[in-house]
Amino acid sequence: MAAPGPGEYFSVGSHVSCLTCLGQRLQGEVVAFDYQSKMLTLKCASSSGKPNLNDVILINLAYVSDVDIINDRTETPPPLASLNVSKLANRARSEKEDKLSQAYAISAGVSVEGQQLFQTIHKTIKDCKWQEKNIIVMDDVVISPPYQVENCKGKEGSALSHVRKILLKLMDTAPPNSIFGKL
Amino acid sequence: MSMKAGGNRSKPGGGNTAGAAGTGGSGGGRQNLGRGRHSGKGPAAVIFNGVYANMRMVHVLTSVVGTKCELKVKNGAVYEGVFKTYGPECDLVLDAAHRKSPEPSIAPRKEDIVESIIFKASDVVVVTFKDVDLNFARKDNFTDAAVSGKINGEHKEKDLEPWDGGETHNSDSLESLDTDVSNGWDPNDMFKYNEEKYGVLSTYDSSLSTYTVPLERDNSEEFLKREARAAQLAEEIEGSATYKARVALENDERSEEEKYTAVMRGDRETHTLSRENKYIPPGQRSRETMSWGPGRQNPSRLAQSSAGPSAPRAGPHDYSPSAGADQRVVNGGPPRMSPKSQRTPRSHRAPPCRTTGGDFISHNAPGEVPVTPPTRSSSSGGTWSSVVSGAHRPRSPRQNNMGGASSGSSSLPAAQTGAAPVETVSTATSASSPNAASPAPNMVTSSSADAKECRVQETRQTSPTANKENIKPLDSSPSVTRPVCKGPPSMAPDHRKQIDNLKKFSVDFRLQSSSNSDPAFDPMMTKPPRDPADKPKDLPMDKASSVGREGPEDGVAGGAPAPSTTNASKPGSPAALSPSPSAPDQKRAGLDVASQGVQTNATSSFSGAKHEEKEEKKEAVHDQVRKSTLNPNAHEFKPRFNTQPKPANTPTPPRPQGQPSPSIVVQQPPAVYGQTVCFPQMYPLTPVSPGVQKSIIWKAPAMYQVQMPHMTVGQSKPYRPGKVPNMPQQRSEQHHPQGTATMMHPATAAGPPIVAQSPAYSAQYFTCSPQQFTNQPLVQQMTHYQSQAQHVFSPVMQGSARMMAPPTHGQPTLVSSSTTQYPEQTHTMYVSPGPMPQQYPHPNATLHPHQQHPQPSATPTGQGQQGGPQQHGVPQNHPAASPVQHSQHQQAAAAAAAQALHLANQPQQQQMYSALAPTPPSMTPGPNPQSPQASFPSAQQTVYIHPQQVQHGYNHNHMAHVQQAHMQSGLVQSHHPGQTHPTMMLMATQGPPGGPQQAMPQNALNPIPVSSTTHFSYLAHPQVQAHHQQQL
Repeated sequence: MAAPGPGEYFSVGSHVSCLTCLGQRLQGEVVAFDYQSKMLTLKCASSSGKPNLNDVILINLAYVSDVDIINDRTETPPPLASLNVSKLANRARSEKEDKLSQAYAISAGVSVEGQQLFQTIHKTIKDCKWQEKNIIVMDDVVISPPYQVENCKGKEGSALSHVRKILLKLMDTAPPNSIFGKL
Repeated sequence: MSMKAGGNRSKPGGGNTAGAAGTGGSGGGRQNLGRGRHSGKGPAAVIFNGVYANMRMVHVLTSVVGTKCELKVKNGAVYEGVFKTYGPECDLVLDAAHRKSPEPSIAPRKEDIVESIIFKASDVVVVTFKDVDLNFARKDNFTDAAVSGKINGEHKEKDLEPWDGGETHNSDSLESLDTDVSNGWDPNDMFKYNEEKYGVLSTYDSSLSTYTVPLERDNSEEFLKREARAAQLAEEIEGSATYKARVALENDERSEEEKYTAVMRGDRETHTLSRENKYIPPGQRSRETMSWGPGRQNPSRLAQSSAGPSAPRAGPHDYSPSAGADQRVVNGGPPRMSPKSQRTPRSHRAPPCRTTGGDFISHNAPGEVPVTPPTRSSSSGGTWSSVVSGAHRPRSPRQNNMGGASSGSSSLPAAQTGAAPVETVSTATSASSPNAASPAPNMVTSSSADAKECRVQETRQTSPTANKENIKPLDSSPSVTRPVCKGPPSMAPDHRKQIDNLKKFSVDFRLQSSSNSDPAFDPMMTKPPRDPADKPKDLPMDKASSVGREGPEDGVAGGAPAPSTTNASKPGSPAALSPSPSAPDQKRAGLDVASQGVQTNATSSFSGAKHEEKEEKKEAVHDQVRKSTLNPNAHEFKPRFNTQPKPANTPTPPRPQGQPSPSIVVQQPPAVYGQTVCFPQMYPLTPVSPGVQKSIIWKAPAMYQVQMPHMTVGQSKPYRPGKVPNMPQQRSEQHHPQGTATMMHPATAAGPPIVAQSPAYSAQYFTCSPQQFTNQPLVQQMTHYQSQAQHVFSPVMQGSARMMAPPTHGQPTLVSSSTTQYPEQTHTMYVSPGPMPQQYPHPNATLHPHQQHPQPSATPTGQGQQGGPQQHGVPQNHPAASPVQHSQHQQAAAAAAAQALHLANQPQQQQMYSALAPTPPSMTPGPNPQSPQASFPSAQQTVYIHPQQVQHGYNHNHMAHVQQAHMQSGLVQSHHPGQTHPTMMLMATQGPPGGPQQAMPQNALNPIPVSSTTHFSYLAHPQVQAHHQQQL
């Protein structure tokens, strides 16, 4: 049997909605569809509402029902841009390391506050890691439990002051019931 | 687990796919799966299977690599991890994945995290990638699409809507915008609006009482006095040249293009008047002050360039004016024209115009004359001074002109005032040239004389009418020129003698000449020097030939019209021969006289007398040429001249041009500039050509000299000891050909100063610049050198020769010398720039100036040669090889080592020339005279460059040769075959001059200039002067 072209089922750019076997309603714009694997990729608005970001959903149509094409676009899909594979690989590696690092901290028994602080610092300063329960920032600043401003130690300088600033900021924004809030 | 699950599921998936693929059977499914995977993996690299074949799927999945995702499997479990990769069957790999616990807030523990999990596509229900930036990995971050895709916020493209202004508004509103002259709101409207709208009251008081105090007028005597005083001051300020110049700058309606870029060739000739109008502003400026300098420079340059045509210049006045005009025209460039070039041209021209030595003197005195006296003491001092003065004068003339302008051109009207100064300057230069001629009697004088003759003839022919008309005011100048011519003639005889002597004992001759010159110089700044050395030869040569003819003519024409100048020049020549006249004339006569005489002759006298003189000169030149190889050169020169002014042919061509210019000149004194600029320049130059040519030659020499000087100085010093002799030989040899002519010139220019002037000069030179002395000695040693030295070119040539030799001998010194040369060069360069601009305006002229320099050398010799060939056999004699250049080269070749050096140098020069040559030839083709000049200029320029390199000297020589060659080619084609030869001669002469030049350089830049001046009184002088000045 001749394999129908993707266009026969879903044309790129058309909006589709479907219901998974798990009862989840999915809707988005068709980005890609692979007939053989029955895999459909949809692009949806970001769940976090960020304009420049999207949620991408990969659906196995084998477990989906109620596929509706909300509107079909016949326009020629935009050309594909070449991708920087190394950049993607680096992103994958760093994401993995972050997750493992986070997991390490958790497994090490670091307090939630410590984890929060680490996550916060890590947002702006990638060069931070766990050493036991101490957070090492840029190999220069050491934040030890209970992760208070006075626990920030290291060579006086912009790094230390910057870390302290982050810490204070976190305490200001932290919920009242948290340690930081109490401080 | 997942694997298993995947595997299990994969079956279905595989089955699906297989089914899709058309393969039936469960077993087959597995196989298919296996195959599929296999094939998929295997071929994957080459042939994309499965998902890999789906570009869009691959793209989207790849672009989400490295992002966190939640993956739901059939059983409802949710795994979270970093999406690592995917397989052809759409198997998904998650790194650092962990099974997500029902409690959202609990972070995974290290133990919970699996390094990586591969999920079979058949096990996956849905994978969610949150907050993915699909453009993260796009490479084309800077394409339009990429950029437009990153727009923050709303990136909806605005829908374009056709604008409909409405029919009613179309014309009105748009037109109103264009035609609305009002410049915004009226202040009162603004005040009113603000008051109504915002309740703001303006405190503006039209009387500005807050800022100033009203003037209380009363009738008190004090107030009236002050008022009168204020008015007076205002008048003075507004009447000042500076103010006018500045206002002119602001109100100059000429476009930038007109002022600085446009090349107006036709205009010169055709639109002289109109340009004059345009020029006038520049002229005024220059008159006022600085502007003249440029203007002058331009003229000078033009003159120089025209110098080639010097014969045409015969209508020197015209030329000078025209040159000025041209320059100005070119100008926008007048300033650029750089006083030097202009000056020189003017000087050439001017001399004629100025006729009166007084003017020259005045100019000279202001600028160079003072110098000359000192210089006088110095060897070439006279010549130098003259030359320098000429050169300086050109520049200084500008300045001097400012002051001296009035004095300068009595005959010349206001326009002349502007021009006059220039002219004076030019005269000075011319004077210098005369001097140079006298100093370098053989070369310079002869050349100048020849040139003058040619010019004169031409001028006479062409300019006679024009000259007469225009010149009449200038008549004095004509007379002067004649005297000058006489000077040259006298020089010619001397030259011949010198040449012979030089041939026999170049050194001795030079020394003698120098000594002679010195005495002569003493009495007369320029001429005396020349006279001593050059005069004997040169005078005999040039003067003999030229004088013979000119003499009569001069006597006739010159005698009457330009008594003062003539006298001066004559005295100068006499002085050269017999110092006597010089003393009085020294300043005026020395430089002015000679130059003036020449110029004047060229310019005004002209027409009739000049022509006659020219003829005579030509004859004389021929004689000289015959006598000395110079004559051959002279021929070349003529060609150049011809080319430029069409001197060689020139006489006639010049006339035409000259006439026009003359007429122009006559019409308007200021016009003179314009006229001169146009045809005048051409013609004047041509008429002047004798002078101009000389000047050109001189210029070239100057150029050479300048360069050479540096080179020479450094080199000469080092070389002097042993090498010098060689050099001289070479020079002599090289130059000799040219030499005869050059010799004359050198004598007049460099040589004379050194040798002839030697008494004074020698002392001076020695004191002044050892190099010069050395050079002089060398020159002297080199009889040829002397001649060469005399010739401006010769100096240059010699210098170059020396340079050449020095390099070979001791280039090290060259460096030092080179440095010095550089200054000179720079000077020259400057000059050239000036000329260049001018040249541009007057392409030919500009080129000529530069070229002239080279040419000058060539011309001088060429003139001499030309004259010689034509009339002067003597000059040629020296060259032996009538083909001055060739002979020189040959001679150079003959002179084994020296020759070798020369040859080497020559090649270089030739190269230079070749490079330059192309242009020159092209140039020549157009206006023969000009084109040659142009070529020369280029050559010269290049030469200059070379000089800087140290090889300048060589280059010059080479240049000269090349130029000659070019000239020959160009000239020959355009004008006279003979001219081509002359050019060659000139080239040769240049070579010889090099020695002198070196000497000159050594002396100081001045010496060189002098020599140059002497050689090429007109052109050379300006440049030389400039150089000297710069150097100084």
